Amino acid sequence: MKKQYAFLVDTERCIGCFTCAMACRNYYHQVEGVVWRQVHPLSEEIYPHRERAFLSLSCNHCENPACLNVCPVEAYTKREEDGVVVHHQEKCIGCGNCIRSCPYGAPKYNPVEKRAEKCSLCHERLDAGLDPACVQACPTDALQLIDLAEFERTNEVQYPAGYPRMEGLNPSTRFVLPKTPKMVRR
Amino acid sequence: MTAKKCMFSRRRFLQGAAAVGAAAVLPCTLLVPDKAQAAAFSEGDYQTFRNACPRNCYDTCSIKTYVQDGVVKFIEGASESTFTKGGLCVKGYAYTRRPYSPDRIKYPMVQDGRRSGKWRRVSWDEALDMIAKKMLKLKEEDGSLLGLGMTKYSGNFGITNYGVEGMMSSLGYTTRFVGTPCWPAGIDAQNYDMGNMWCNDPEDMVKARYVIVWGANPAWCSVHSMKYIMEAKRRGAKVVVVDPVFTQTAAKGDVYWQPKTASDGALALGMARHILDKGLVDQDFVHTYGLGFDEFADYLRNNVTVEWAAEQSGIPAEQIMEVAEEFATADPATIWIGYGMQRHTNGGASVRSLDALVAMTGNIGKEGGGARYGHLQTWGFNYHALIQKQPEGSKGFMGGAAKGEFDFTEGSGASYTDRTVNINKTAQSILDTTDPAIRMLWVSCKNPFGQDFDRPKLEKAFDKLEMVVTVDQFFNETVANSDIVLPVTTLFEEWTVNASYWHYWLSINEQAIKPMFEAKSNIEIAAALSRKMNELSPGSCTFPQDIDTREWMAKEFNQGIYDMFGIRDWTDLRNGPAKARLKSSAAWSDKKFATPSGRYEFKSEQCANNGHKALPEFKTGRESYDKFRLLTPHTKFGLHSQFVNLDWMHEYNEEPYIYMHPKAAAEKSIRDLDMVRVFNKVGEQKARVKLTDNVAEDCLLMYEAWFGRGNDYNVQNLVDDESADMGAFKAGAPGVAIHDQFANVERA
Repeated sequence: MKKQYAFLVDTERCIGCFTCAMACRNYYHQVEGVVWRQVHPLSEEIYPHRERAFLSLSCNHCENPACLNVCPVEAYTKREEDGVVVHHQEKCIGCGNCIRSCPYGAPKYNPVEKRAEKCSLCHERLDAGLDPACVQACPTDALQLIDLAEFERTNEVQYPAGYPRMEGLNPSTRFVLPKTPKMVRR
Repeated sequence: MTAKKCMFSRRRFLQGAAAVGAAAVLPCTLLVPDKAQAAAFSEGDYQTFRNACPRNCYDTCSIKTYVQDGVVKFIEGASESTFTKGGLCVKGYAYTRRPYSPDRIKYPMVQDGRRSGKWRRVSWDEALDMIAKKMLKLKEEDGSLLGLGMTKYSGNFGITNYGVEGMMSSLGYTTRFVGTPCWPAGIDAQNYDMGNMWCNDPEDMVKARYVIVWGANPAWCSVHSMKYIMEAKRRGAKVVVVDPVFTQTAAKGDVYWQPKTASDGALALGMARHILDKGLVDQDFVHTYGLGFDEFADYLRNNVTVEWAAEQSGIPAEQIMEVAEEFATADPATIWIGYGMQRHTNGGASVRSLDALVAMTGNIGKEGGGARYGHLQTWGFNYHALIQKQPEGSKGFMGGAAKGEFDFTEGSGASYTDRTVNINKTAQSILDTTDPAIRMLWVSCKNPFGQDFDRPKLEKAFDKLEMVVTVDQFFNETVANSDIVLPVTTLFEEWTVNASYWHYWLSINEQAIKPMFEAKSNIEIAAALSRKMNELSPGSCTFPQDIDTREWMAKEFNQGIYDMFGIRDWTDLRNGPAKARLKSSAAWSDKKFATPSGRYEFKSEQCANNGHKALPEFKTGRESYDKFRLLTPHTKFGLHSQFVNLDWMHEYNEEPYIYMHPKAAAEKSIRDLDMVRVFNKVGEQKARVKLTDNVAEDCLLMYEAWFGRGNDYNVQNLVDDESADMGAFKAGAPGVAIHDQFANVERA
């Protein structure tokens, strides 16, 4: 398998602290209303306690990205060397095809630029040998950068409950499921 | 500042010029990279600076700041600190926005009529002229400056900010709001038991074989501590979380206990009784290093049973026995005693019971063990900014002043002192104080309307004041109740130094950018006020009139600090934070305690002499006065009234909610996300409700926060100023029973 960088979202370790989300904003200063990485609480059908387990999500850097496939002006590329899906905003015409097509809601509309944008996996940091801003920031190592070609774990899943199963796209993000403690209540 | 190869471009030049210039009301798009694709990151494109988060937080993170052409571009956690480990938190990463927030106070302003919103810009000279003349008038009319009050707490813990207290001393003897709403009952408890508050290095929690997190929520309030708890768990430790709320920390433990609020003392004593019955007491510790253990054992045998503890707390007896046995046999075992669990009328007594549990199992003085609460071991600065002399001939208060927990001074020995009043009863103190009355108030590093208790009463009290001057960064509710507001610097705009009350790292805070607009640091404000005072009345203020803030930061250091941290001088800290060189990661490792007996005092005469029980006996909590218990703890999106108001934070936390149990809601026909009204004898507050069994059926939960942007949400509309049992011994005033509050709710 070719090198494919991906996010590992370990929800057993995740404390839903939103540090990753703000670290992204700290680094890129997205305009108001544009969020590349969001922390989504799991519904109580999936995790029995409200707002106590989360999926931290941004772009999944898919094997077959919907955004790339529907873009009329080739504003998206998938990097040969590591599989990162890059949006080239200077080529974007703001048609919104990618925004409508991504089942994970990764591309966002920037109302100031009148163009799309999304998580770049901090490729400019990867190229300098650094972690993405969100991964560097995570205080519990719940969010990690992995290479799917070399990833060796057995307890991870590709499609946790609450996350759309899109096998045709083959999203690269992997997840570890959350646990619940023994509850002793009065 | 580490000067790096700086690639200068016209675009960056324009950004820098616009940001520091007078026309700096810049659209934030100027700060956004204009292409999503970029060349490889190069640190050489930036100047880097060392900063430190100065908030009232366990983590006190070491920050590395990246600046281009005078503008903060982004920040990260200092990688040199094993505690911060390269990352900050959701609040910390929002700092990048803070100096450039469109909501920031830019200039000195005067409000024509409190709460009128009619603010007009004035010059620093005009503002200080009004302030200085009022101070001189007070002195002339009252014969002293005791009519000038000052309230300050934890808005900025940078050491040079004690220059606010210094400024007050340099004017004369004034009225000080002393004490702390935070942690004083527990401080007193640990002082009675051990002679000081002193916790193990949090990094040694990985060695614990058993961890009880009791009334603390580090997943929100100390995110960097969670990795140690998780590592201990990975190595096989059991993690038990005790909290009236099913917190995020509780969700990460092995076992969660939800006791009745304020029953912690009973629960701990029930465990102690079982440990005694099972013969699991560490006899060597309690007899060689302890005092009065036999009397404590008698108390347990005569007054405490596991069944009684179960009844008091709601935790089943077999659970209490199981966890007690596991805790007593694990080696080492530790308890993290949270500040939340001592914000009660029986909080100090409860902390003493928990301390006793850790001590009787021999876990005090042990690496990986300990009754972890906090420490001030690394705070041995010179307090150069703090210690200022009163002007010649100043008149003051006769009868002595109380001292706060961060006051490390010896006292002046003069016959006059400041007049001290209880910081936890701000409103009542202003209303009651006479001869002379408090007529003028200086507020800095504090937002009384966000944090002080009984907000309706506070408004009445402020209305009695002739002049209120507030030093702040945002137009919060305290500013709305002020006459004059002075803009203060953010962490990036001043020099200072920061230590933690939890971990053992020390960080320098460099000035990374020039102050935006007309902001000044607290000590620069003091110097400017001194110039004005002396201009109007020579000799009326002793504060130096020309100061170099970098020099003043340097003056806080001494050889003791250098030795403790293994640095040659403060400039070493420009290479990154330093950790105290500890002979052991455990507090009290030599088991020589600082109590009168030199032992761990299960029985403390000092405690008895101060009006409490000598033994860590059970103390009943506050009587309920309304249908639900009301809890108002910290949110993860803010620290007290800071951060939640920032537009960046608003992206992730749009509005406040009230949390209640679905069964309790059903009884009142309240549905999820309904607008409700919470009300009690203090006042009322409306917000939408989220239904969740994270809270007990008899409990309402509201996170303290100041949203700004026209949102009137304020939990202090519902919290009264009832005192905690302890705090006066070491913090100057009793704590406050923040979590012994009660209220009712209905659909709005």
